[in-house]
Amino acid sequence: MPYLITAIIKPFKLEEVKEALRAAGVGGLTVSEVQGFGRQGGKTEVFRGAEYKTEFVPKVKIEVVVDTSQAYKMVDLIAEAARTGKIGDGKIWAVDLERLMRVRTGELGDDAV
Amino acid sequence: MIRTKLRRLKQKDTRKLIATVMAGKMLGLLLILGAMKGVAWYFSSQASAAPLVHQAAVKVSDQVSAVNTVWVLVTAFLVFFMQAGFMGLEAGFARSRETVNVLMECVFDTCLCGLLYWAFGFAFQFGNGNGVIGHQYFLLHGMTPAYGTTQVSFLAFFLFQFAFADTASTVTSGAMVGRTGFKGDIIYSICVSGFLYPIFGHWAWGPGGWLGNTMGWFAGLVPKGIVFRDFAGSTVVHTVGGVIALAGCIALGPRLGRVFKRDGGGPLPPHDLTWGAIGGVILWFGWYGFNPGSTLSAMDWQGIGRVAANTTLAACAGGMMAVLWVYPRSKKWDLGISVNGFLGGLVAITCPCYWVSPWGAVVIGLGAGIVVPLGIDFMEWMRWDDPIGAVAVHMFAGIWGTLSLGLLATGQYGVPTATGADTSTVVRGLFYGGGTGQLQAQFIGSMTCCVAVGGVAYLIMCLIKLIPGSWTLRVTQDGELEGLDLHEHGTAAYHVEFGQGMTYTAPPNFIPNGAKTNGAEEKTPVSTADSPEDVPV
Repeated sequence: MPYLITAIIKPFKLEEVKEALRAAGVGGLTVSEVQGFGRQGGKTEVFRGAEYKTEFVPKVKIEVVVDTSQAYKMVDLIAEAARTGKIGDGKIWAVDLERLMRVRTGELGDDAV
Repeated sequence: MIRTKLRRLKQKDTRKLIATVMAGKMLGLLLILGAMKGVAWYFSSQASAAPLVHQAAVKVSDQVSAVNTVWVLVTAFLVFFMQAGFMGLEAGFARSRETVNVLMECVFDTCLCGLLYWAFGFAFQFGNGNGVIGHQYFLLHGMTPAYGTTQVSFLAFFLFQFAFADTASTVTSGAMVGRTGFKGDIIYSICVSGFLYPIFGHWAWGPGGWLGNTMGWFAGLVPKGIVFRDFAGSTVVHTVGGVIALAGCIALGPRLGRVFKRDGGGPLPPHDLTWGAIGGVILWFGWYGFNPGSTLSAMDWQGIGRVAANTTLAACAGGMMAVLWVYPRSKKWDLGISVNGFLGGLVAITCPCYWVSPWGAVVIGLGAGIVVPLGIDFMEWMRWDDPIGAVAVHMFAGIWGTLSLGLLATGQYGVPTATGADTSTVVRGLFYGGGTGQLQAQFIGSMTCCVAVGGVAYLIMCLIKLIPGSWTLRVTQDGELEGLDLHEHGTAAYHVEFGQGMTYTAPPNFIPNGAKTNGAEEKTPVSTADSPEDVPV
């Protein structure tokens, strides 16, 4: 069964992660701009001299579907590319996909990766 | 619906009601019109009864100052409005993470430039002095009712020239978008709007300036009587701005992550082409102050008409040519290059706009439409990162425009004066049988600008780079990756607001009710105050 890997990373790390995945032979991925908080918490912003706490910081979410045999390797790969060592580097998780279909052909499972 | 309404219309009493209402409305309208007519008649009869002596006593010559001052003020306002164009264009062509920085740069620069120009910039540029620098009118001391022989209110002239200085100083930031620290920005802006622009401006436009009057050391290289001419500032404003931008761009280096074409990359995409294009058109609109206003005289009525028309034609030709130039390459109708193209046409026509014919203006615009895309390619090839094309548009097209005067000046026009056109000495280009004299003078002026201003600007940029700590030219790597908006200005241009994502926080040293803050500062007060009951379902 294929795996869905979801990674929340720092926005400016997207390019490096994408290149790393592409070099490892990943054929496609989905990216979205998201906001949230974790240990990094929010951050302070200012407007006309007043300080504001924004509780959510912008992140990038990457979703990539990979072959079962590749899943753990890909998680490591993303972590390596996205790591700065500072707080707020993000998280990665991988889950089993019960059903996966390529829309154009109707292929199922690993064939549809 | 409609059918029921129609049916109702057929009923007799409905029709009667409508007729009554309409008749009432007509009656009211007639009453109002009648009253207006009556009032107008009353006042006009009063006015015509009054003696007209006062009006008849005003001579045409007395009105010259008023007419010229109004003209210069109106065009000064237009030139000032170009700041809005720069804000739109630069912000639109930049990435969203540096939008606030670009806007702030323009706003801050304008304020800074106004004060510096008042304190000493204007004195350096338009005060009497020697061929190199003026030293009169510091803090506008000792001003006369009208500036020089212009018959324009001194302060209106000052305002007009401030708007020009502001334009030059804003151009510089264009090629430095996205990686310049704001403190470094302040330092170089002081140098540009306080010294570089006014001093070069004095050379070309100031009283006794060496380029505009005697050609100084280069007097032997041009025929007698021919001097460097720059009507509205292809060199003085745009090449100066462009060459400083280039100096800054080289000193800074490219933005992080910028890969150039010959390394297999390409430009980082703009984030808002709507504002990019609108900003460009606002600049075009502002140019109707920039060029026609530079006559400083509405009495030269043929002159201002010619300049305005030439400005338009060059812009049209430039935009058109640039699009057609890149079309074969991409097979797409490119908005970005068309905006840069018409701006290049505007920059190019700025110097020769008074002395060329509409045909000449079209040729100059077409030339600019080729110079700009070639300039952008050149910058890419040199691995110089200019996010909005400021160097290609302002420096390269500025040089082309300055030289084009030496080719296309028709030999019919001289200089505008306060009371009308003065054609006692005309400007004639190579193609109109004037020989190469004017072209040589233009070349000397343009190269002087590139070498002198460019050299000094590069030196200044490199010196600012050497400053340790936060006053250096380039922002830290972390700051650049985070984006200049958040890092330098503490706010993003485009907020996504999730519920109460933004909440006011108390100052850091504020402790509510004397509670201890044992490591709990990071908790925000609002998240605890929000109990589930408060959330509307």
